Amino acid sequence: MSSASNPVVEIEKLTKRYGEFVALDNLSLTLNRGDILGFIGPNGAGKTTTIRILVGLTRPTSGSARIAGSDCVADARKVRQLVGYMPDKFGSYDNMRVREYLDFFGAAYGIARKQRQLRVAEVLEVTNATWMQDRYVESLSHGMQQRIGIARTLLHNPDVLILDEPANGLDPQARIEMREILLRLASEGRTLIVTSHILPELARICDRVAIVANGQLKALGTLKEVTGQLTQRRTFEVQCLQSDQLPAVENIVKQFFHDDTEVSVSTAEGIVRFRTSASDELLSELLKQIVNSSSLITQFRELVGDLEEAFISATQMSASAEPAGAAK
Amino acid sequence: MKGSLVIAERELPAILRSRQTVWILLAVASIFAATVLLKWPESGVASLSGDQAKATFRSLALSMLAAVVLIIPAFPATGIVVEVRRRTMELLLNSPLRRFEIFTGKAIALLGFVLILLTVTLPAMACCYAMGGISFTNDVLVLYGFIVIVCLQLIVLGVLVGTFAGSPESALRCAYGCTFALVVVTLIPWQFLQGFEGWMGNYAGLLRKLSPITALLELLNDSGLETVGLSTQENLFAAYLWSAAIFVVVGSIVCISRLNYSLLDRSRSQGVITDDRTAAARSVRRVFFLIDPQRRKAGIPGFLNPVLAKEFRSRQFGRLHWLLRLIAGCAVMSLLLTLATTMGTVDWGVERIGGIIIVAQVALIVVLTPGMAGGMIAGEMESGGWNLLRVTPLSASKILRGKLMSVMLTLMLVLCASLPGYAIMMAIKPDLQQQVIQVLVCLVLSAVLSLLLSATVSSFFKTTAAATTVSYGLLITLFAGTLIVWANMNAPFGHYFVEQVLSLNPMAGALNAIRAEGFESFNLVPRTWWISGSACVVLLVVLQLRIRHLCQPD
Repeated sequence: MSSASNPVVEIEKLTKRYGEFVALDNLSLTLNRGDILGFIGPNGAGKTTTIRILVGLTRPTSGSARIAGSDCVADARKVRQLVGYMPDKFGSYDNMRVREYLDFFGAAYGIARKQRQLRVAEVLEVTNATWMQDRYVESLSHGMQQRIGIARTLLHNPDVLILDEPANGLDPQARIEMREILLRLASEGRTLIVTSHILPELARICDRVAIVANGQLKALGTLKEVTGQLTQRRTFEVQCLQSDQLPAVENIVKQFFHDDTEVSVSTAEGIVRFRTSASDELLSELLKQIVNSSSLITQFRELVGDLEEAFISATQMSASAEPAGAAK
Repeated sequence: MKGSLVIAERELPAILRSRQTVWILLAVASIFAATVLLKWPESGVASLSGDQAKATFRSLALSMLAAVVLIIPAFPATGIVVEVRRRTMELLLNSPLRRFEIFTGKAIALLGFVLILLTVTLPAMACCYAMGGISFTNDVLVLYGFIVIVCLQLIVLGVLVGTFAGSPESALRCAYGCTFALVVVTLIPWQFLQGFEGWMGNYAGLLRKLSPITALLELLNDSGLETVGLSTQENLFAAYLWSAAIFVVVGSIVCISRLNYSLLDRSRSQGVITDDRTAAARSVRRVFFLIDPQRRKAGIPGFLNPVLAKEFRSRQFGRLHWLLRLIAGCAVMSLLLTLATTMGTVDWGVERIGGIIIVAQVALIVVLTPGMAGGMIAGEMESGGWNLLRVTPLSASKILRGKLMSVMLTLMLVLCASLPGYAIMMAIKPDLQQQVIQVLVCLVLSAVLSLLLSATVSSFFKTTAAATTVSYGLLITLFAGTLIVWANMNAPFGHYFVEQVLSLNPMAGALNAIRAEGFESFNLVPRTWWISGSACVVLLVVLQLRIRHLCQPD
């Protein structure tokens, strides 16, 4: 494992062109040990291209990608030992049982036979898949196959796990289990790069988010930072002690902003909710007015940004920036 | 019937829209044009006797049969399986269409394709007719009618296989295997048993009537044919038509009865492991299987190429327990044949026995190899396994070695199975030693060439079905196609030309080495070794470069 102080994944000005089409355009990002990066973007945004470059399946046109200091193109063999990759397509072999399947990949990674047997048992346990070790791989359900896919990526104990759509097609129960597995892996100090279209799911597990669109990095940071960057309005809630005070608070908020601030009242929750682009100074002034009024409030809080909203903002921004008639 | 047309209207354009179809039609048109051009009189004036036209007609007829045998089985065989896999069969079975309509719709669409394929041959046939000497109604129309019947038989055979197969690859393997058996294997016993009295001779005679080749040769009325034993007083053409008609009717009924929900309801074994069974069950399985495929396997040993082990464990076709049975069968058959000769119960002679063993072995190689090697790379591409292999530290050469060795070992086991037979032959006739060694070299070359050809083809395709089809086509052309030229020696092909063509076929080299009937007059060894050996080297280099390229980052 690499030292904690050095970045584990370094992507610098990564560009990939297929003829005239630019799949990746000067993409740069850095990840530290233990980070879980949610890598999101619309279809064809460049996520899979980035991932394929990181695992050595695609050569970049320019720029560089390094895993634990090793260049993904020049030191491809070393990088393969450092990275565990789960593509969106499972890649099963007919007539192979789960244990045989994992044993084969363990042998392919050069793990000695005795150590391999222990390792296979370990990864099956980590992914809660020990009970399916004698089942045929192709007879497993999608969710089970995804677990075996993760077990396969863990065989050689890599520093970095790159998972392409691990939650795709999973039922809610399997999704919860997948989330637990990923969080457990991150807690072991591994760096995870996870792509998904299920944004609420990503928001729950990722401590950092990168949004790409048209091959460009539109936003990178913590969930709060990204939603802050991409969504101009923040959502606040004022919780009142008694619901009969809600109209008064609502009036204060409306009169304070005098603009298109959206204000709504939830009588059942006893909450006045509003979305605004106002600065923190203005908000503290609003809070002061509410407190000075006769209303009894118990909470004034900002809600964590919505990743879906940020995603849509990013993709809309890139769509409006795209020249008319541009085609892939 | 309206429903049949609905299906046909969807199926036929789908067949015609594919790029493969365009290439097939272009290739057929080119080959037929070339055939006529080669036979066209140099002076521009055809002989009055009509010999040139007849020779051209004969070549065109044989090419037409070869073309439909190589092309047609792939379409019906994969049609049903692909529908089941894409789950469009569910939609069809849930629609108001009747099973009969689904079947006839598919058959009509395929017959439509056959008609288009035959239309492509019309310009060449028109040129041949223009040369004079052949009758429009007695020759041309009858030939086209006959080819349509053969196609109908192959379509029914293909659909029938498709209703049993679980994957496009297995459908292709079985369809080509059955076609090969129907067209070529049915002729083999007669080749060796002609003139024999008793049940063996009778069965061999009956069997050959099932082959369209026999009927076609009679249709061509070729008295000059040197194909041993094919000239006869029997009406072989009518006999074939009867057998084809019975096959089409019975086959269609079976096909229609199988087009139901059972196609969609094939549960996959969850994998009961032998180690978890009772002691009695374990004992029975140990005796029955020798190598039990259901037992819990130990890890791959460190010294073994993991790809080699994976290939043996993952493939359905050619798994060890089946191979052992196959090899045991081969060994027993070759021993029995040889013993029968030794003990004088059958007056065949070593050459005839050797010929049977050689043809049987090469037939096995041709049936087994594309099935195992056709999906070697293409199957990995299709399943997404190739990218997983690429991200492991395995080198391109190690992957290739593992894959090639997995098939080569199997083929060598098949070849080794006949060694006892050859050993007995040498014991009977010690001066045969040199010949047997030559035969074995030819057989090894046949196996290596088949393997490298199929593997190279596989590396250029992204689906197993396409790679397997092309591999079968090439191997059947090499091993059976060249024998068609041999079967037509002197009419129209001369001895020199036949010898040149047979030099490409290492099986012909083996038959020549053992001095099998019909092959004594050639001098193929060692020329066939050089040609096959060079082809193997070229294919290996191409394959290595291709695999290296596929392992590089895109």
